[in-house]
Amino acid sequence: MSEPAAWVIAPDAREGFIGRAREVWQYRRILWFFSHKAVQRLAAKTHLGYFWVFARTLGPLAIGSFVFGSVLEVPSGAVPYFLFFLTGQIPWNCFDGPLIRGSRGLEGNRALLTKLYVPRVILPLGQMAAGLVEPAIITLVYIGSLVYYRVNGGVWHVEATPRMLASAASVLLVVAFAFSLTLCTSVLQARARDTRFALRYVVTFWMYFTPVIYPISLVPPGIRWLVYANPLTAPVETFKWGLLPGLEHSWGWFAYSVAVTAGTFALGVWYFARSESVTMDKI
Amino acid sequence: MTERWEVSARYPGAFATLAEVWQYRRLLRFIGDRALRRMYRRTVLGWLWLFINPLLPIALRAVIFGGLLGAGSNGIPYFLFLLAGTVVWDVFASSLLWATRSLEMNRDLAVQIYHPRAILPVGNMTPTLLNVGLKVGVLLLAVVFYTARDGRLYLRGDIGLVWALGALLLALLFALAISFFTSIWGETARDIRFALGQFLAIWYLLTPVLYPLSQVPEAHRWWMMWNPLAIIVETFKWGLFGIGELYADALSVTAAGVFLFLTCGLIYFARSEARTVAQR
Repeated sequence: MSEPAAWVIAPDAREGFIGRAREVWQYRRILWFFSHKAVQRLAAKTHLGYFWVFARTLGPLAIGSFVFGSVLEVPSGAVPYFLFFLTGQIPWNCFDGPLIRGSRGLEGNRALLTKLYVPRVILPLGQMAAGLVEPAIITLVYIGSLVYYRVNGGVWHVEATPRMLASAASVLLVVAFAFSLTLCTSVLQARARDTRFALRYVVTFWMYFTPVIYPISLVPPGIRWLVYANPLTAPVETFKWGLLPGLEHSWGWFAYSVAVTAGTFALGVWYFARSESVTMDKI
Repeated sequence: MTERWEVSARYPGAFATLAEVWQYRRLLRFIGDRALRRMYRRTVLGWLWLFINPLLPIALRAVIFGGLLGAGSNGIPYFLFLLAGTVVWDVFASSLLWATRSLEMNRDLAVQIYHPRAILPVGNMTPTLLNVGLKVGVLLLAVVFYTARDGRLYLRGDIGLVWALGALLLALLFALAISFFTSIWGETARDIRFALGQFLAIWYLLTPVLYPLSQVPEAHRWWMMWNPLAIIVETFKWGLFGIGELYADALSVTAAGVFLFLTCGLIYFARSEARTVAQR
């Protein structure tokens, strides 16, 4: 007669960064599902639907470029201010949208978390997709206005050069940075409601301290390093440099931003993994 | 002989509603208190938000718009200029946002005891007065500071202060008028609140808080003056510091418009309250 088999109840072997990353990959169809749902939710339960999504994006663009360009007369170099403003808005919205929406990932799916297992990180990641809708709309407007200036002014303000690759890299860097922060903020927000207020403030003012609506050349040279210490400055500036003529940027500070992003990512992963086992039950 | 009882819904008129709000004025404090507690529940910083909320943004905006972007300020220190504009704007914007949530926040109250519904938007506005009082305090401190520094009194000491006070009141009434509509809509549709927040962000940029109206290019000034808040803000700053000018015609149109709108709001509210309460 053989011994009865021993039953061991232990958590799945999901430990370690590689293990977790592989798990997310295994669950990728759920990630797709959550992203899809998050985008749909942008327009759900509003009377205007997707029209509202467009109006909400375009209204601030029109008014903002009028106030900053015509009233405050912020210099924009060789190109019309509207174009300059839009160029800054694209990378900025790639940060702001994913961060704000991704932070709601855990809080908004509280009910779901107690019912079934999904790798937790899928929830903020899926929500982040909704934040990328606005920059996509702005990019469309951007292309439209380039054509407009070509037809009316006879010049392409943006020329296809290899520098565009730098712009693409900047957008990726900005999204990666947003994701790294989301790893922390989504946990914090699930625990304390005021994270949302605080985040909204921080992000609003972060924009003013990033050269989005003004060129970096407006900042007095003596304190420019202070603005560059903000890890978003270099990618935003590089993005604009890659598309528009006559702007400056610095690869050195870009490398700095990459390093900060990598550091934040490591910190975010550590914090998220640590909180996952401790607090997910509490929220 | 049997008595006949007739049970029917009342449709009080606009002014009967107002009179009733006055009768129940002791509830105001209770509602305001409740709103405050509700807002800061489950937050870590709690009551500190009451202070962070108004003060930090002003300081940061002063650095960016006054320092870096060089916005004009009609010849007084930019911080003072911004602070004065922000006081009026916040009286308007934050009381509007809070009042809009009033019916939705106090749903449970509505089925428990009788109170005139119109007291809810008014009561929910009271926490913002605390906020504004704080800012007025900072404004006075700033005036004292700049007066001591420059040896020049920026504050006007004459009848202008009455105008400034009137402008504040007008901003408050305008917010109340709008909230008579938005609180009814916001009770059933939550997105009204979010939409309003975004709408206010744009409105803020179009209102001469960050810059004086005189800095707006001549070609655009005429349409910006159709914004009631622009006139109210300019009047406040004119009354307080004697800067800019008093647009007397535009102000009287604005004031008349606000009162008309308030009356419409009251009528709409009084008509809808019976309906919305029955629907829940």
